[in-house]
Amino acid sequence: MYTQIGIIAAVMVLAYVAAKAAKASVEASMLAAAVAGGLAGAFVNTPPAAELARHLVEGAFTYLDVILVFSTATIFMAIVSESGGINYVVRGTIKSFYNLRLIALLLLMIIILIPGALTGAGSVSLLVVGAPVAMALSYLGIPARKVAAILFIVAGLSAAAPPVNIWAMILSAGTAIPYVGFELPLGIPVLVLGTFTVLFLGWKKEGTGDKESALEDMPKTPAGMNWWRVLLPFLVFFGMVAAYRLWPFSTPILGLPLQFVIAGLVAWLVSPTKINILTLSRNTIQRLLPLLATMIVVGMLQQIMTTTGIRGLISFAVISTPLILLFFSLAVIIPVSEGVLTYGGAAIIGIPLVWFLDSIGLHATVAIAGLSLLWPLGDGLPPTALIGRLSVMVSEYKGTYWTFLRSTWVPWVVITIVGILMVVFSAKLDFLVKWSM
Amino acid sequence: MSMIIMIIYYIISAFILGMLIWNFIREKKSTNDMLLYLLVMIPLILRLLRVK
Amino acid sequence: MKKERNIRIVLIVVMALVLIQAGIQLFQHRHYQIPLVAGPGVTKVTNLSDYCEGLKGTQADTLVFFMEGKEPGGKLLIIANTHSNEPAALLTALIFLENAVVEKGTLIIIPQFNHSGSRHTRPGDGYPLYFEIPTSWGSKQFRMGNRDASPLDQWPDPDVYIHYPDRQLLSFLDIRNTNRTWPGRANGALMEKVTFAAMEIMRNEGVDLAVDIHGAETMFPVTNCIVAPEKSMRIATMTSLTLQAREGFDNHVEPSPKGFRGLSHREIGDYSETLPFLLEAPLPFLDQPTGPKTTALLLDGKDPFLLKLSQKKKLFVPYDENGWPMDNRVGQHCSAVLELLQQYSRKNPERAIQVLQVPRYAEVIEKGVGYYYHDPAQTEKKNVYFN
Repeated sequence: MYTQIGIIAAVMVLAYVAAKAAKASVEASMLAAAVAGGLAGAFVNTPPAAELARHLVEGAFTYLDVILVFSTATIFMAIVSESGGINYVVRGTIKSFYNLRLIALLLLMIIILIPGALTGAGSVSLLVVGAPVAMALSYLGIPARKVAAILFIVAGLSAAAPPVNIWAMILSAGTAIPYVGFELPLGIPVLVLGTFTVLFLGWKKEGTGDKESALEDMPKTPAGMNWWRVLLPFLVFFGMVAAYRLWPFSTPILGLPLQFVIAGLVAWLVSPTKINILTLSRNTIQRLLPLLATMIVVGMLQQIMTTTGIRGLISFAVISTPLILLFFSLAVIIPVSEGVLTYGGAAIIGIPLVWFLDSIGLHATVAIAGLSLLWPLGDGLPPTALIGRLSVMVSEYKGTYWTFLRSTWVPWVVITIVGILMVVFSAKLDFLVKWSM
Repeated sequence: MSMIIMIIYYIISAFILGMLIWNFIREKKSTNDMLLYLLVMIPLILRLLRVK
Repeated sequence: MKKERNIRIVLIVVMALVLIQAGIQLFQHRHYQIPLVAGPGVTKVTNLSDYCEGLKGTQADTLVFFMEGKEPGGKLLIIANTHSNEPAALLTALIFLENAVVEKGTLIIIPQFNHSGSRHTRPGDGYPLYFEIPTSWGSKQFRMGNRDASPLDQWPDPDVYIHYPDRQLLSFLDIRNTNRTWPGRANGALMEKVTFAAMEIMRNEGVDLAVDIHGAETMFPVTNCIVAPEKSMRIATMTSLTLQAREGFDNHVEPSPKGFRGLSHREIGDYSETLPFLLEAPLPFLDQPTGPKTTALLLDGKDPFLLKLSQKKKLFVPYDENGWPMDNRVGQHCSAVLELLQQYSRKNPERAIQVLQVPRYAEVIEKGVGYYYHDPAQTEKKNVYFN
């Protein structure tokens, strides 16, 4: 069995490497790995050849709901952005707090945190608020390399932030632990680590320039834009989220995608500029393509790895690792699993890991929260490097990818230490869960 | 009410599928992007056909 | 330009072929009908929608079989396929349905409780679509379903599922999980209607005992056990001890946690007079660290990784090279249900339930599960139901 699975895994790795060598994209290379793994598996009937297409297609459904959330949330935020709302807020921050650097940095951090916290996707943060925030950070005298690093770390933390944390949701669903009590175990470290990151990387003003020239350079907001027009769509969105929480048995279940659609319609109606919703949606989907395709291919890969036994072998290896070594190795295996499989890593490694940690007396909810701080780091690692690539893109950093990644190392190490300590001392931190409920 | 909401979800899915098809048709150069558009269409098509 | 067009056409054709082949298989799975043979004990067949109007015409509606005894007595409800990826439950329920003769009291059986889930496959987990049980007249084929209902029947999920009526926050997926939506409500989400209808059966029919049959991972602490709330604890404990002493298999008792809402063993007890029990038998197929997810693994439960982990004492059940065959799991469930009846009847003779012709653990292992299934082709049509 070990040899058989090992050979199939080798075929998948080879297919991936060959596709990359042939200059295929990360997504296409992962697809090549999934198809090759399925074909290799079919030789030993795992899966039967006649069911290979079904497995690939079924795998494509794994993250369909997440795809709908990504799409609608990004279209919503794109409408807010197109209406001038994001520029208005960022401009307001610079105008009021340019000389109060601490407040300006914290406000910009909160602006990045919100979209990711709401959608569970750091990429949504970057796609919708990344560019104006990057601009504001550079006007605060932070070099592009550090701007990219701040965006990457804070966008990653935004995905881990409550209320929507997809890793925690996958793990909770897979381990029969209620997705409840995560507000403080996630919220506190996200805010503390986010603050540390923006201050560590952004406190020192390295460029020249002043408030007036910054405001002069920043894109102008359209006439008629005001705080109400910016806030109303968000109030509608949070209103719908809150209504279900307050009156769950008399409020219809709208789901996040429809809530974003409604909020998007409100943003469109109150926009001071005319927005062509069809063109905007088409362009948004075009920008989102790598992310959406990654979710599809990761689902396929996950399905093929399960049906061939590779996923089981990986789980087996994780569980067989001695405890102390396991704690240390979390620093590597969690981010790497995310880099290779994105959310699939949580399912493949996370679920057996949480069960194992639970069975040795650790507190599952706090442990999941701790692990969820480590997963977003992997979004900077190849082959997927989703958030890392986007951070470099929106900050318009021109250096190499590795130079960018190196500049994240201090927050990276601090987050890793905090995450692992939360796992190790989860039983002692259970009061955070109790206080959340 | 839940039936109406479910129908709206089919409309949202159809809208996103429509955007993908539109982009797929407009894409003239990148074979990679054409492939990725088709991949993302898979679950949306089967959901709209009520197969899965 | 021409090259670009050709590439486009090739991509579309390949994708269409994959989509059509997979689409046909998935469509056939959703519409595959399992013939259920109503045995000599069946006296009435109704639908779950008879107890909750909102289920009519939906894929959540399912068959409810009544087996009324010659003498009055207590009533037992057997709920199977609450999770349709735990198939020992359905196989056990069918042994009762096809063979049981009720002397005293009434047996009510819902073989496919989460009917929508039974017609749904599980994305990302690489399950087979079907599995077959060998019988003397050929193989009987079953759909392999999913833990949750299909989004084709209940869509969308909320961002967080808020349990009725306790307001506990649960994972968004659990709103399609019929072991998180108890006690349900008539105007709630579709799966809340399913559990509400079952509660109505229990309340209206005066059901004494309800047994919800499941399977669980060998690495999950709550496995190979009877889960029971305080009010069912005495009978569960007596059952467990008797099974261990007389039939030689372990089936320990786990208390139903008060703080974890929506589960049958908690809510049925809290919202009706019925005594609930949830049976768990080990199901290695569901464990994460296993080899390929094949029908062989589903049926025999043999896996080299689990064997290694067992040697390292990381499993919660005894495990050797024989795995956990389906016959053992089904046999265990049959004995547990029969023993629960016996213990209850002993304590409550005026509400006794007496069931004959159902095999116990050793007999199921000896003859195999398929031995107890009848050929639908050789059965009178009026006694064959499709579900």
